[in-house]
Amino acid sequence: MQQVVVGAMVGTIFSAMTAGTLAAETHKELHFNVGTKAGLSVNNPYGSISVKPTSGSAVLINAMLSSDKVEIDSSQTGNRVDVQSHLLPGATAENGRVDYEILVPSDASITLHSNTGSLRAEKLHGDVTLEGAGATVDIRDITGSHVHVKTLNGPVTITNVQDGHVEVDSLSGPVTLNRVTGPLVQVISTSGGINYTGDFGDSGEYRLTSHSGDIEATVPETTSADVTASSVRGEVHDDIPLQPKTHTSFIVRQGSAFVGTMGRAAVSSTVVLRSFSGKIHLRKRTAK
Amino acid sequence: MNCVQLQDSLAEIENGSRADQRAHLRTCAECAALVAELNLIASSAIELRAAAEPSPRVWNSIEIALRQEGLIRPQRPTVSRTNRSGAGSLLPALTSRWTWARWMAPAAAVLLITVGVYVREHSAPPPQIAANLGQPAIGAIVSDAAIAGLNDDDLLQEVAEQTPAMKAEYTDDLRRVNEYIQDAKNDVAAYPNDEEARRSLLEAYQEKAMLFEMAMDRSLP
Repeated sequence: MQQVVVGAMVGTIFSAMTAGTLAAETHKELHFNVGTKAGLSVNNPYGSISVKPTSGSAVLINAMLSSDKVEIDSSQTGNRVDVQSHLLPGATAENGRVDYEILVPSDASITLHSNTGSLRAEKLHGDVTLEGAGATVDIRDITGSHVHVKTLNGPVTITNVQDGHVEVDSLSGPVTLNRVTGPLVQVISTSGGINYTGDFGDSGEYRLTSHSGDIEATVPETTSADVTASSVRGEVHDDIPLQPKTHTSFIVRQGSAFVGTMGRAAVSSTVVLRSFSGKIHLRKRTAK
Repeated sequence: MNCVQLQDSLAEIENGSRADQRAHLRTCAECAALVAELNLIASSAIELRAAAEPSPRVWNSIEIALRQEGLIRPQRPTVSRTNRSGAGSLLPALTSRWTWARWMAPAAAVLLITVGVYVREHSAPPPQIAANLGQPAIGAIVSDAAIAGLNDDDLLQEVAEQTPAMKAEYTDDLRRVNEYIQDAKNDVAAYPNDEEARRSLLEAYQEKAMLFEMAMDRSLP
């Protein structure tokens, strides 16, 4: 009998705590009618932001606020929507958290900012700009767009971005590119590793540089590219035979370096792999 | 319209095209040069991408660097003004009304000036000091420890005040990016004609600029 009473008391206390927690969270929905090539900007210091396309001509925002220490300020000016998670006095990274799930027309351009949480965008045709000191960035299935990413420590993953103008600045977070091609693909990192898997397209400029992080590019043997790679103090490995370039302005340095052409020189991308103390490895992708 | 009124009016019409602005610009070479420089920066920033509005402190530091490089003329001695952010500035329009592109333009200009100065130092004899003009050699103005007026101590102090828990992480990040810059500078010094070396230096400074930008972009009330 005593055990039943204790159990009931524990259950009551637990339910009260849970109910209190749930009551503090609030859900908010916002709807904005927009035209073609709309713009959306979301500044959310703490929490995640996910953006997906919708077939309609509206921006639909679902937000979950973790407490009453944060509120959402939003405005629309013409075809541009601005959303700000406004932290109130007493806000912390925990109670100031807001998680957004947003639907936009696929041709909309978006700018997302979060210090923590995750930033995710997929299946869009407009420009995509994602920034966050420690945010995890995930971009996928983007075509014909400008993609810009800035992070300090968060990992960045970009998958299936075709015909894109991609620029990534990541201080120390790892950067992973899968099937990313376009006229410009550039990754700059201070100490993060860079991993590229793809075929460098058939024309474009690819520049992967890291001061001390390792750079690994895995490409099929049929890739066409002019490749220059150098690491001042790190090792450089090349698994794919390169045809020497007869004329190049590349300065062969003390350290490790290679330069050459793979595939058809007449149609090829320009690839620069550069590090100061990281290792560089150009790998051959094996058929599964 | 006097110079102060002209500069205040730039907040609304930044290219000096209004009739009263044009009238003043016809008679004032200093203001005319200022508007021309602003228009040049704005037109060059078309391709720059969006960035969050920086804190007034970042903007003031950039203004200091631009003044040192002679891109901003000294203000005539008048009643002091402050912009909306409370910081005295020759360019009130730029802190409050300019778009993201116009903020990035001076930051990019300062960054490029810094790199250009460094590269020039190592590829040509140092410039002579113009004693009569009282202008120090350009290469002596910008130092590693005070790029564009934003020094490392300022950054860490800002982080310590806003988010103390992040200070250790930012200290580590700062150390890494400074090592990057030093390695890149050494590379340019060793191979001054190597375009890749110069580009690496620019990228290193770009990483540091990003670190400053993110450190000062704090939202806790």
